[in-house]
Amino acid sequence: MYIYAAIMGNKSKKKEVRMSMKMKKWIALALALCLMLTALAACGGSGKDDSKTLKVATSPDFAPMAFVDTSKQGQDQYVGFDIMLAQYIADEMGKELVIMPMSFEACTTAVSMGTVDMAISGFSWREDREQNFNLSDFYYPGDNESDQVVITLKENEGRFAAAADFKGVKVGAQTASLQESLCQEQLPDCELVTIGDLGTGLLQLKNGDFEAMAVAKGQADVFMSNDPAVALSGFQFEVDEKYTANVIVLKKGADSLTEEVNGILKKAYDANVYGGWYEEAKELAMSATANEVSYDDEGNAPAGSESSSEAE
Amino acid sequence: MDLSLLGPNILRLLREYWQVFLLEGVVNTLKLTAIAVLFGVILGTLVAMVKMCRFRAARFLIGVYIEVIRGTPILLQLYIFYFVLPQLLPFLALSPFMWVALALCINSSAYVSEVIRAGIQAVDKGQTEAARSLGLSGRQTMLRIVLPQAVRNILPALGNEFIMMLKETSLASTFFLGDLMTSYLLVGGATYLRFEALIIVGVIYLCLTFPLSKVVAAFERRMARGTTD
Repeated sequence: MYIYAAIMGNKSKKKEVRMSMKMKKWIALALALCLMLTALAACGGSGKDDSKTLKVATSPDFAPMAFVDTSKQGQDQYVGFDIMLAQYIADEMGKELVIMPMSFEACTTAVSMGTVDMAISGFSWREDREQNFNLSDFYYPGDNESDQVVITLKENEGRFAAAADFKGVKVGAQTASLQESLCQEQLPDCELVTIGDLGTGLLQLKNGDFEAMAVAKGQADVFMSNDPAVALSGFQFEVDEKYTANVIVLKKGADSLTEEVNGILKKAYDANVYGGWYEEAKELAMSATANEVSYDDEGNAPAGSESSSEAE
Repeated sequence: MDLSLLGPNILRLLREYWQVFLLEGVVNTLKLTAIAVLFGVILGTLVAMVKMCRFRAARFLIGVYIEVIRGTPILLQLYIFYFVLPQLLPFLALSPFMWVALALCINSSAYVSEVIRAGIQAVDKGQTEAARSLGLSGRQTMLRIVLPQAVRNILPALGNEFIMMLKETSLASTFFLGDLMTSYLLVGGATYLRFEALIIVGVIYLCLTFPLSKVVAAFERRMARGTTD
Protein backbone atom coordinates (compact mmCIF):
# COMPACT_ATOMS: atom_id res chain seq x y z
CA MET A 1 0.00 0.00 0.00
CA TYR A 2 2.66 2.46 1.04
CA ILE A 3 4.85 1.51 -1.84
CA TYR A 4 1.99 1.98 -4.21
CA ALA A 5 1.30 5.35 -2.74
CA ALA A 6 4.93 6.25 -3.10
CA ILE A 7 4.91 5.36 -6.77
CA MET A 8 1.67 7.23 -7.28
CA GLY A 9 3.06 10.15 -5.35
CA ASN A 10 6.10 10.25 -7.58
CA LYS A 11 3.95 10.23 -10.66
CA SER A 12 1.71 12.95 -9.38
CA LYS A 13 4.70 15.02 -8.40
CA LYS A 14 5.75 15.30 -12.03
CA LYS A 15 2.22 16.31 -12.85
CA GLU A 16 2.33 18.83 -10.07
CA VAL A 17 5.27 20.56 -11.68
CA ARG A 18 3.39 20.75 -14.97
CA MET A 19 0.30 22.00 -13.20
CA SER A 20 2.21 24.63 -11.33
CA MET A 21 3.65 25.98 -14.59
CA LYS A 22 0.15 26.26 -15.96
CA MET A 23 -0.99 27.92 -12.75
CA LYS A 24 1.83 30.41 -12.85
CA LYS A 25 0.84 31.35 -16.37
CA TRP A 26 -2.70 32.02 -15.18
CA ILE A 27 -1.53 34.09 -12.27
CA ALA A 28 0.77 36.09 -14.52
CA LEU A 29 -2.12 36.68 -16.90
CA ALA A 30 -4.39 37.81 -14.07
CA LEU A 31 -1.73 40.17 -12.76
CA ALA A 32 -1.17 41.60 -16.23
CA LEU A 33 -4.90 42.17 -16.58
CA CYS A 34 -5.01 44.00 -13.26
CA LEU A 35 -2.11 46.16 -14.35
CA MET A 36 -3.83 46.97 -17.63
CA LEU A 37 -7.03 47.92 -15.84
CA THR A 38 -5.27 50.29 -13.48
CA ALA A 39 -3.26 51.79 -16.31
CA LEU A 40 -6.40 52.33 -18.33
CA ALA A 41 -8.09 53.79 -15.28
CA ALA A 42 -5.25 56.20 -14.73
CA CYS A 43 -5.28 57.61 -18.25
CA GLY A 44 -9.00 57.24 -18.84
CA GLY A 45 -9.91 59.75 -16.14
CA SER A 46 -9.44 62.81 -18.27
CA GLY A 47 -10.97 61.37 -21.39
CA LYS A 48 -14.66 61.34 -20.48
CA ASP A 49 -16.94 63.85 -22.05
CA ASP A 50 -19.35 65.30 -19.52
CA SER A 51 -19.80 68.62 -21.25
CA LYS A 52 -23.17 67.79 -22.78
CA THR A 53 -25.02 66.43 -19.77
CA LEU A 54 -25.97 67.90 -16.43
CA LYS A 55 -26.14 65.13 -13.86
CA VAL A 56 -28.38 65.90 -10.92
CA ALA A 57 -28.88 63.70 -7.87
CA THR A 58 -32.29 63.69 -6.27
CA SER A 59 -34.28 61.52 -3.93
CA PRO A 60 -37.58 61.03 -5.74
CA ASP A 61 -39.65 59.91 -2.77
CA PHE A 62 -40.62 63.34 -1.56
CA ALA A 63 -43.81 64.68 -3.14
CA PRO A 64 -44.31 67.41 -4.20
CA MET A 65 -40.61 68.38 -4.44
CA ALA A 66 -39.39 65.30 -6.27
CA PHE A 67 -41.32 62.13 -6.92
CA VAL A 68 -42.11 59.64 -9.64
CA ASP A 69 -45.02 59.61 -12.04
CA THR A 70 -45.33 55.85 -12.32
CA SER A 71 -47.29 56.06 -15.55
CA LYS A 72 -44.14 57.22 -17.32
CA GLN A 73 -40.82 55.57 -18.09
CA GLY A 74 -37.15 56.52 -18.00
CA GLN A 75 -36.12 60.11 -17.32
CA ASP A 76 -39.68 61.40 -17.92
CA GLN A 77 -40.94 59.65 -14.81
CA TYR A 78 -39.21 62.07 -12.44
CA VAL A 79 -41.52 64.98 -11.65
CA GLY A 80 -41.94 67.67 -9.03
CA PHE A 81 -40.67 71.11 -8.22
CA ASP A 82 -37.00 70.20 -7.91
CA ILE A 83 -37.09 68.36 -11.24
CA MET A 84 -38.61 71.40 -12.96
CA LEU A 85 -35.88 73.55 -11.47
CA ALA A 86 -33.21 71.09 -12.60
CA GLN A 87 -34.69 71.09 -16.11
CA TYR A 88 -34.69 74.89 -16.13
CA ILE A 89 -31.03 75.00 -15.09
CA ALA A 90 -30.06 72.39 -17.69
CA ASP A 91 -31.93 74.29 -20.41
CA GLU A 92 -30.23 77.55 -19.44
CA MET A 93 -26.84 75.86 -19.55
CA GLY A 94 -27.67 74.21 -22.87
CA LYS A 95 -27.11 70.73 -21.47
CA GLU A 96 -29.14 67.59 -21.35
CA LEU A 97 -30.55 66.83 -17.93
CA VAL A 98 -29.81 63.41 -16.45
CA ILE A 99 -31.58 62.72 -13.16
CA MET A 100 -29.76 60.20 -11.00
CA PRO A 101 -32.18 58.93 -8.38
CA MET A 102 -30.79 57.85 -5.01
CA SER A 103 -31.61 58.03 -1.34
CA PHE A 104 -31.36 61.43 0.36
CA GLU A 105 -28.20 60.47 2.26
CA ALA A 106 -26.56 59.19 -0.91
CA CYS A 107 -27.23 62.51 -2.73
CA THR A 108 -24.55 64.41 -0.82
CA THR A 109 -22.14 61.48 -1.19
CA ALA A 110 -22.71 61.61 -4.95
CA VAL A 111 -21.85 65.32 -4.99
CA SER A 112 -18.66 64.97 -2.99
CA MET A 113 -17.58 61.96 -5.05
CA GLY A 114 -18.18 63.91 -8.25
CA THR A 115 -20.64 61.31 -9.54
CA VAL A 116 -23.11 64.13 -10.18
CA ASP A 117 -22.72 67.84 -10.88
CA MET A 118 -25.17 68.89 -8.20
CA ALA A 119 -27.89 67.65 -5.88
CA ILE A 120 -31.33 69.25 -5.97
CA SER A 121 -33.48 67.47 -3.44
CA GLY A 122 -35.18 69.99 -1.20
CA PHE A 123 -31.97 70.71 0.75
CA SER A 124 -32.28 73.51 3.24
CA TRP A 125 -29.37 75.64 4.37
CA ARG A 126 -27.40 74.19 7.23
CA GLU A 127 -24.12 75.23 8.70
CA ASP A 128 -22.45 71.84 8.32
CA ARG A 129 -23.57 71.71 4.70
CA GLU A 130 -22.09 75.14 4.11
CA GLN A 131 -18.77 73.89 5.49
CA ASN A 132 -18.54 70.79 3.35
CA PHE A 133 -20.19 71.85 0.11
CA ASN A 134 -20.69 74.81 -2.16
CA LEU A 135 -24.28 75.88 -1.61
CA SER A 136 -26.16 77.90 -4.20
CA ASP A 137 -28.27 80.96 -3.42
CA PHE A 138 -31.72 80.24 -2.07
CA TYR A 139 -34.61 79.18 -4.21
CA TYR A 140 -38.17 79.36 -3.06
CA PRO A 141 -40.59 76.52 -3.64
CA GLY A 142 -43.51 78.76 -2.61
CA ASP A 143 -45.17 79.80 0.63
CA ASN A 144 -46.28 76.32 1.56
CA GLU A 145 -42.75 75.06 1.72
CA SER A 146 -41.38 77.98 3.72
CA ASP A 147 -44.07 77.75 6.41
CA GLN A 148 -43.13 75.19 9.03
CA VAL A 149 -45.93 73.69 11.09
CA VAL A 150 -46.65 70.96 13.59
CA ILE A 151 -49.21 68.31 12.74
CA THR A 152 -51.03 66.05 15.13
CA LEU A 153 -53.92 63.61 15.12
CA LYS A 154 -57.45 64.91 14.57
CA GLU A 155 -58.43 64.17 18.18
CA ASN A 156 -55.65 66.49 19.45
CA GLU A 157 -56.57 69.31 17.10
CA GLY A 158 -56.07 72.65 18.82
CA ARG A 159 -54.40 71.15 21.90
CA PHE A 160 -51.02 72.56 20.98
CA ALA A 161 -51.47 76.22 20.07
CA ALA A 162 -48.46 77.77 21.80
CA ALA A 163 -44.90 76.67 22.48
CA ALA A 164 -45.72 76.19 26.17
CA ASP A 165 -48.29 73.51 25.33
CA PHE A 166 -45.49 71.23 24.19
CA LYS A 167 -43.94 70.84 27.62
CA GLY A 168 -43.04 67.16 28.00
CA VAL A 169 -44.84 66.27 24.78
CA LYS A 170 -43.12 63.92 22.35
CA VAL A 171 -42.60 65.61 18.99
CA GLY A 172 -41.25 63.83 15.93
CA ALA A 173 -38.88 65.49 13.46
CA GLN A 174 -36.77 64.14 10.61
CA THR A 175 -33.11 63.48 11.51
CA ALA A 176 -30.75 66.31 10.53
CA SER A 177 -33.64 68.33 9.12
CA LEU A 178 -34.64 71.95 9.45
CA GLN A 179 -37.62 70.84 11.55
CA GLU A 180 -35.29 69.18 14.05
CA SER A 181 -33.34 72.40 14.62
CA LEU A 182 -36.57 74.37 14.84
CA CYS A 183 -37.91 72.05 17.51
CA GLN A 184 -34.71 72.40 19.51
CA GLU A 185 -34.81 76.18 19.24
CA GLN A 186 -38.48 76.98 19.64
CA LEU A 187 -39.91 74.03 21.54
CA PRO A 188 -37.15 73.60 24.15
CA ASP A 189 -39.46 71.80 26.58
CA CYS A 190 -40.66 69.15 24.17
CA GLU A 191 -39.28 65.66 24.02
CA LEU A 192 -37.74 65.38 20.57
CA VAL A 193 -38.04 62.06 18.74
CA THR A 194 -36.04 61.79 15.53
CA ILE A 195 -37.45 59.90 12.57
CA GLY A 196 -35.84 58.53 9.43
CA ASP A 197 -38.31 59.51 6.76
CA LEU A 198 -41.57 61.37 6.81
CA GLY A 199 -43.74 58.48 5.68
CA THR A 200 -42.51 56.35 8.55
CA GLY A 201 -42.95 59.37 10.82
CA LEU A 202 -46.58 59.59 9.81
CA LEU A 203 -47.01 55.94 10.73
CA GLN A 204 -45.37 56.53 14.09
CA LEU A 205 -47.63 59.52 14.72
CA LYS A 206 -50.70 57.42 14.01
CA ASN A 207 -49.23 54.64 16.10
CA GLY A 208 -48.89 56.95 19.11
CA ASP A 209 -45.06 56.92 19.26
CA PHE A 210 -45.28 60.69 19.51
CA GLU A 211 -48.17 63.11 19.69
CA ALA A 212 -47.03 65.71 17.20
CA MET A 213 -44.70 65.98 14.23
CA ALA A 214 -42.89 69.00 12.78
CA VAL A 215 -43.15 69.25 8.98
CA ALA A 216 -43.20 71.80 6.16
CA LYS A 217 -46.64 73.20 5.41
CA GLY A 218 -46.65 71.78 1.89
CA GLN A 219 -45.97 68.34 3.30
CA ALA A 220 -48.72 68.75 5.88
CA ASP A 221 -51.16 69.62 3.07
CA VAL A 222 -50.32 66.42 1.21
CA PHE A 223 -50.64 64.39 4.40
CA MET A 224 -53.99 65.89 5.29
CA SER A 225 -55.43 65.56 1.82
CA ASN A 226 -54.65 61.89 1.96
CA ASP A 227 -55.38 61.05 5.55
CA PRO A 228 -58.37 62.49 7.40
CA ALA A 229 -56.87 61.41 10.75
CA VAL A 230 -54.16 64.10 10.50
CA ALA A 231 -54.72 67.74 11.46
CA LEU A 232 -52.74 70.93 12.04
CA SER A 233 -51.88 71.55 15.67
CA GLY A 234 -52.34 75.30 15.46
CA PHE A 235 -48.69 76.00 16.25
CA GLN A 236 -46.45 77.46 13.60
CA PHE A 237 -42.70 77.97 13.82
CA GLU A 238 -41.16 81.36 13.29
CA VAL A 239 -38.60 80.84 10.61
CA ASP A 240 -35.61 82.83 9.58
CA GLU A 241 -35.28 83.37 5.83
CA LYS A 242 -32.15 81.32 5.56
CA TYR A 243 -34.13 78.30 6.74
CA THR A 244 -37.26 78.79 4.68
CA ALA A 245 -35.71 78.45 1.28
CA ASN A 246 -33.86 75.59 -0.34
CA VAL A 247 -30.37 75.42 -1.75
CA ILE A 248 -28.66 73.40 -4.43
CA VAL A 249 -25.69 71.38 -3.18
CA LEU A 250 -22.53 71.47 -5.28
CA LYS A 251 -19.04 70.14 -4.80
CA LYS A 252 -16.76 72.17 -2.57
CA GLY A 253 -14.56 74.29 -4.80
CA ALA A 254 -16.81 74.17 -7.87
CA ASP A 255 -17.03 77.96 -7.74
CA SER A 256 -17.58 78.76 -11.40
CA LEU A 257 -20.44 76.26 -11.65
CA THR A 258 -21.94 77.62 -8.44
CA GLU A 259 -21.80 81.13 -9.86
CA GLU A 260 -23.43 79.99 -13.08
CA VAL A 261 -26.20 78.26 -11.13
CA ASN A 262 -26.71 81.35 -8.97
CA GLY A 263 -27.13 83.44 -12.12
CA ILE A 264 -29.75 81.03 -13.42
CA LEU A 265 -31.54 80.98 -10.06
CA LYS A 266 -31.68 84.79 -10.11
CA LYS A 267 -33.13 84.68 -13.59
CA ALA A 268 -35.77 82.18 -12.49
CA TYR A 269 -36.59 84.33 -9.46
CA ASP A 270 -36.92 87.47 -11.59
CA ALA A 271 -39.09 85.60 -14.07
CA ASN A 272 -41.32 84.67 -11.13
CA VAL A 273 -41.75 81.03 -12.11
CA TYR A 274 -41.39 79.34 -8.71
CA GLY A 275 -45.00 79.80 -7.56
CA GLY A 276 -46.43 78.32 -10.75
CA TRP A 277 -44.05 75.36 -10.61
CA TYR A 278 -44.95 74.64 -7.03
CA GLU A 279 -48.68 74.73 -7.69
CA GLU A 280 -48.21 72.46 -10.70
CA ALA A 281 -46.09 70.02 -8.71
CA LYS A 282 -48.56 69.98 -5.84
CA GLU A 283 -51.47 69.43 -8.20
CA LEU A 284 -49.64 66.46 -9.67
CA ALA A 285 -48.83 65.08 -6.21
CA MET A 286 -52.42 65.46 -5.06
CA SER A 287 -53.72 63.70 -8.16
CA ALA A 288 -51.59 60.75 -7.15
CA THR A 289 -53.32 60.70 -3.79
CA ALA A 290 -56.49 62.55 -2.88
CA ASN A 291 -58.47 62.50 -6.09
CA GLU A 292 -58.58 58.74 -6.28
CA VAL A 293 -61.26 57.94 -3.75
CA SER A 294 -61.69 54.21 -3.78
CA TYR A 295 -65.08 52.61 -4.14
CA ASP A 296 -66.21 49.12 -3.31
CA ASP A 297 -68.09 46.93 -5.75
CA GLU A 298 -71.42 48.63 -5.09
CA GLY A 299 -69.90 52.01 -5.80
CA ASN A 300 -69.88 53.23 -2.19
CA ALA A 301 -66.98 55.23 -0.91
CA PRO A 302 -65.28 53.68 2.15
CA ALA A 303 -65.95 55.10 5.60
CA GLY A 304 -62.92 57.38 5.81
CA SER A 305 -63.58 59.32 2.63
CA GLU A 306 -67.16 60.28 3.45
CA SER A 307 -66.20 63.37 5.39
CA SER A 308 -64.28 64.77 2.46
CA SER A 309 -67.14 64.22 0.04
CA GLU A 310 -69.52 65.91 2.46
CA ALA A 311 -67.23 68.89 2.57
CA GLU A 312 -67.65 69.36 -1.15
CA MET B 1 -53.60 53.58 14.96
CA ASP B 2 -56.57 53.68 12.65
CA LEU B 3 -56.69 50.53 10.57
CA SER B 4 -60.11 50.93 8.99
CA LEU B 5 -58.66 52.54 5.86
CA LEU B 6 -55.90 49.97 5.51
CA GLY B 7 -57.82 47.50 3.36
CA PRO B 8 -59.33 50.04 0.95
CA ASN B 9 -55.99 51.85 0.66
CA ILE B 10 -54.14 48.65 -0.16
CA LEU B 11 -56.71 47.78 -2.79
CA ARG B 12 -56.44 51.27 -4.19
CA LEU B 13 -52.65 51.06 -4.41
CA LEU B 14 -52.88 47.65 -6.04
CA ARG B 15 -55.38 48.91 -8.59
CA GLU B 16 -53.46 52.07 -9.41
CA TYR B 17 -49.92 50.79 -9.16
CA TRP B 18 -49.97 47.05 -9.77
CA GLN B 19 -47.70 47.44 -12.78
CA VAL B 20 -45.13 49.23 -10.63
CA PHE B 21 -45.11 46.39 -8.11
CA LEU B 22 -45.42 43.41 -10.42
CA LEU B 23 -44.08 44.42 -13.82
CA GLU B 24 -41.23 46.60 -12.57
CA GLY B 25 -40.57 45.55 -8.99
CA VAL B 26 -40.81 41.79 -9.28
CA VAL B 27 -39.18 41.63 -12.71
CA ASN B 28 -36.21 43.77 -11.68
CA THR B 29 -35.78 41.97 -8.37
CA LEU B 30 -35.73 38.60 -10.14
CA LYS B 31 -33.44 39.95 -12.85
CA LEU B 32 -30.94 41.29 -10.31
CA THR B 33 -31.09 38.08 -8.28
CA ALA B 34 -30.62 35.86 -11.31
CA ILE B 35 -27.65 37.89 -12.59
CA ALA B 36 -26.07 37.99 -9.14
CA VAL B 37 -26.43 34.29 -8.44
CA LEU B 38 -25.57 33.05 -11.96
CA PHE B 39 -22.34 35.03 -12.22
CA GLY B 40 -21.80 34.61 -8.51
CA VAL B 41 -21.72 30.83 -9.01
CA ILE B 42 -19.36 31.04 -11.99
CA LEU B 43 -17.02 33.43 -10.22
CA GLY B 44 -17.47 31.66 -6.90
CA THR B 45 -16.38 28.34 -8.43
CA LEU B 46 -13.18 29.94 -9.68
CA VAL B 47 -12.61 31.57 -6.31
CA ALA B 48 -13.15 28.25 -4.53
CA MET B 49 -10.69 26.54 -6.89
CA VAL B 50 -8.03 29.12 -6.14
CA LYS B 51 -8.81 28.89 -2.42
CA MET B 52 -8.05 25.17 -2.58
CA CYS B 53 -5.03 25.34 -4.88
CA ARG B 54 -1.47 24.55 -3.85
CA PHE B 55 -0.09 28.06 -3.95
CA ARG B 56 0.10 29.69 -0.61
CA ALA B 57 0.21 33.25 -2.03
CA ALA B 58 -2.85 32.70 -4.22
CA ARG B 59 -4.69 31.09 -1.31
CA PHE B 60 -3.81 34.03 0.90
CA LEU B 61 -4.92 36.66 -1.63
CA ILE B 62 -8.21 34.94 -2.35
CA GLY B 63 -8.68 34.53 1.41
CA VAL B 64 -8.36 38.29 1.80
CA TYR B 65 -10.90 38.77 -1.03
CA ILE B 66 -13.39 36.46 0.67
CA GLU B 67 -12.88 37.95 4.13
CA VAL B 68 -13.19 41.55 2.91
CA ILE B 69 -16.38 40.84 1.03
CA ARG B 70 -17.98 38.72 3.69
CA GLY B 71 -16.79 41.04 6.44
CA THR B 72 -18.22 44.31 5.10
CA PRO B 73 -21.88 45.26 4.76
CA ILE B 74 -23.32 44.81 1.30
CA LEU B 75 -24.68 48.38 1.40
CA LEU B 76 -21.11 49.65 1.77
CA GLN B 77 -20.06 47.55 -1.22
CA LEU B 78 -22.91 49.03 -3.27
CA TYR B 79 -21.70 52.55 -2.41
CA ILE B 80 -18.17 51.64 -3.49
CA PHE B 81 -19.37 50.09 -6.74
CA TYR B 82 -21.76 52.95 -7.46
CA PHE B 83 -19.59 55.92 -6.54
CA VAL B 84 -15.94 54.92 -6.54
CA LEU B 85 -15.41 52.27 -9.22
CA PRO B 86 -17.09 54.19 -12.10
CA GLN B 87 -14.54 56.94 -11.47
CA LEU B 88 -11.59 54.58 -11.24
CA LEU B 89 -12.69 52.65 -14.32
CA PRO B 90 -14.47 55.25 -16.48
CA PHE B 91 -13.81 53.33 -19.71
CA LEU B 92 -16.17 50.58 -18.55
CA ALA B 93 -19.19 52.88 -19.01
CA LEU B 94 -21.64 50.53 -17.29
CA SER B 95 -25.12 51.68 -16.36
CA PRO B 96 -25.88 52.17 -12.65
CA PHE B 97 -27.97 49.00 -12.83
CA MET B 98 -24.99 47.03 -14.13
CA TRP B 99 -22.66 48.44 -11.47
CA VAL B 100 -25.02 47.36 -8.73
CA ALA B 101 -25.54 43.98 -10.40
CA LEU B 102 -21.76 43.62 -10.53
CA ALA B 103 -21.47 44.45 -6.84
CA LEU B 104 -24.07 41.80 -6.05
CA CYS B 105 -22.21 39.25 -8.25
CA ILE B 106 -18.95 39.91 -6.42
CA ASN B 107 -20.70 39.68 -3.07
CA SER B 108 -22.44 36.48 -4.09
CA SER B 109 -19.18 34.99 -5.40
CA ALA B 110 -17.55 35.21 -1.97
CA TYR B 111 -20.43 33.43 -0.27
CA VAL B 112 -20.82 30.86 -3.06
CA SER B 113 -17.10 30.07 -3.03
CA GLU B 114 -17.29 29.20 0.66
CA VAL B 115 -20.36 27.05 0.01
CA ILE B 116 -18.52 25.17 -2.72
CA ARG B 117 -15.31 24.82 -0.73
CA ALA B 118 -17.18 23.57 2.32
CA GLY B 119 -19.19 21.19 0.14
CA ILE B 120 -16.06 19.69 -1.38
CA GLN B 121 -14.19 19.45 1.89
CA ALA B 122 -17.17 17.82 3.57
CA VAL B 123 -16.72 14.78 1.31
CA ASP B 124 -14.98 12.15 3.36
CA LYS B 125 -11.24 12.10 2.86
CA GLY B 126 -11.36 8.33 2.53
CA GLN B 127 -13.11 8.73 -0.82
CA THR B 128 -10.14 10.60 -2.24
CA GLU B 129 -7.67 8.17 -0.72
CA ALA B 130 -9.58 5.17 -2.09
CA ALA B 131 -9.82 6.71 -5.57
CA ARG B 132 -6.15 7.61 -5.63
CA SER B 133 -5.12 4.17 -4.42
CA LEU B 134 -7.17 2.63 -7.24
CA GLY B 135 -5.00 4.55 -9.64
CA LEU B 136 -7.26 7.46 -10.54
CA SER B 137 -5.48 10.73 -11.25
CA GLY B 138 -6.08 13.82 -9.12
CA ARG B 139 -8.27 15.28 -11.83
CA GLN B 140 -10.29 12.08 -12.23
CA THR B 141 -10.72 11.82 -8.49
CA MET B 142 -12.06 15.35 -8.26
CA LEU B 143 -14.38 15.13 -11.27
CA ARG B 144 -15.70 11.57 -10.87
CA ILE B 145 -15.55 10.85 -7.16
CA VAL B 146 -15.51 14.00 -5.04
CA LEU B 147 -17.57 16.50 -7.05
CA PRO B 148 -20.63 14.26 -7.59
CA GLN B 149 -20.79 13.76 -3.83
CA ALA B 150 -20.09 17.41 -3.10
CA VAL B 151 -22.98 18.52 -5.32
CA ARG B 152 -25.29 16.93 -2.80
CA ASN B 153 -24.03 19.39 -0.18
CA ILE B 154 -23.68 22.34 -2.50
CA LEU B 155 -26.98 22.54 -4.37
CA PRO B 156 -29.34 23.08 -1.42
CA ALA B 157 -26.95 25.70 -0.03
CA LEU B 158 -26.96 27.45 -3.41
CA GLY B 159 -30.75 27.50 -3.28
CA ASN B 160 -30.53 29.25 0.07
CA GLU B 161 -28.02 31.69 -1.40
CA PHE B 162 -30.57 32.52 -4.12
CA ILE B 163 -33.20 33.26 -1.48
CA MET B 164 -30.76 35.38 0.52
CA MET B 165 -29.77 37.31 -2.59
CA LEU B 166 -33.42 37.87 -3.51
CA LYS B 167 -33.85 39.71 -0.22
CA GLU B 168 -30.52 41.51 -0.43
CA THR B 169 -31.36 43.03 -3.82
CA SER B 170 -33.70 45.29 -1.84
CA LEU B 171 -30.60 47.36 -1.05
CA ALA B 172 -30.50 48.35 -4.73
CA SER B 173 -33.38 50.64 -3.82
CA THR B 174 -30.77 53.02 -2.38
CA PHE B 175 -30.23 53.97 -6.02
CA PHE B 176 -33.83 53.48 -7.16
CA LEU B 177 -32.97 50.66 -9.53
CA GLY B 178 -36.53 49.50 -9.93
CA ASP B 179 -36.50 46.48 -7.61
CA LEU B 180 -39.46 45.77 -5.34
CA MET B 181 -38.20 47.99 -2.55
CA THR B 182 -37.88 50.83 -5.06
CA SER B 183 -41.54 50.26 -5.94
CA TYR B 184 -42.31 50.80 -2.28
CA LEU B 185 -40.26 54.02 -2.18
CA LEU B 186 -41.85 55.37 -5.35
CA VAL B 187 -45.44 54.53 -4.55
CA GLY B 188 -45.02 55.39 -0.89
CA GLY B 189 -43.28 58.66 -1.79
CA ALA B 190 -45.93 59.73 -4.26
CA THR B 191 -48.98 58.79 -2.21
CA TYR B 192 -47.65 58.88 1.36
CA LEU B 193 -49.42 55.56 1.89
CA ARG B 194 -46.13 54.04 3.01
CA PHE B 195 -47.47 51.42 5.36
CA GLU B 196 -49.89 50.11 2.76
CA ALA B 197 -47.13 49.99 0.14
CA LEU B 198 -44.86 48.20 2.63
CA ILE B 199 -47.47 45.52 3.26
CA ILE B 200 -47.93 44.93 -0.47
CA VAL B 201 -44.18 44.66 -1.05
CA GLY B 202 -43.77 42.39 1.98
CA VAL B 203 -46.45 40.00 0.74
CA ILE B 204 -44.86 39.91 -2.71
CA TYR B 205 -41.44 39.13 -1.22
CA LEU B 206 -43.00 36.30 0.79
CA CYS B 207 -44.76 34.97 -2.30
CA LEU B 208 -41.37 34.82 -4.01
CA THR B 209 -39.29 33.35 -1.20
CA PHE B 210 -41.76 30.89 0.33
CA PRO B 211 -42.16 28.59 -2.72
CA LEU B 212 -38.41 28.84 -3.31
CA SER B 213 -37.57 27.72 0.22
CA LYS B 214 -40.06 24.85 -0.16
CA VAL B 215 -38.32 23.76 -3.36
CA VAL B 216 -34.94 23.91 -1.61
CA ALA B 217 -36.28 21.87 1.31
CA ALA B 218 -37.73 19.23 -1.01
CA PHE B 219 -34.44 19.09 -2.85
CA GLU B 220 -32.55 18.69 0.41
CA ARG B 221 -34.76 15.75 1.37
CA ARG B 222 -34.21 14.09 -1.98
CA MET B 223 -30.49 14.56 -1.74
CA ALA B 224 -30.45 13.16 1.79
CA ARG B 225 -32.33 10.07 0.62
CA GLY B 226 -29.51 9.47 -1.85
CA THR B 227 -26.96 8.94 0.91
CA THR B 228 -28.70 5.88 2.35
CA ASP B 229 -28.77 4.03 -0.99
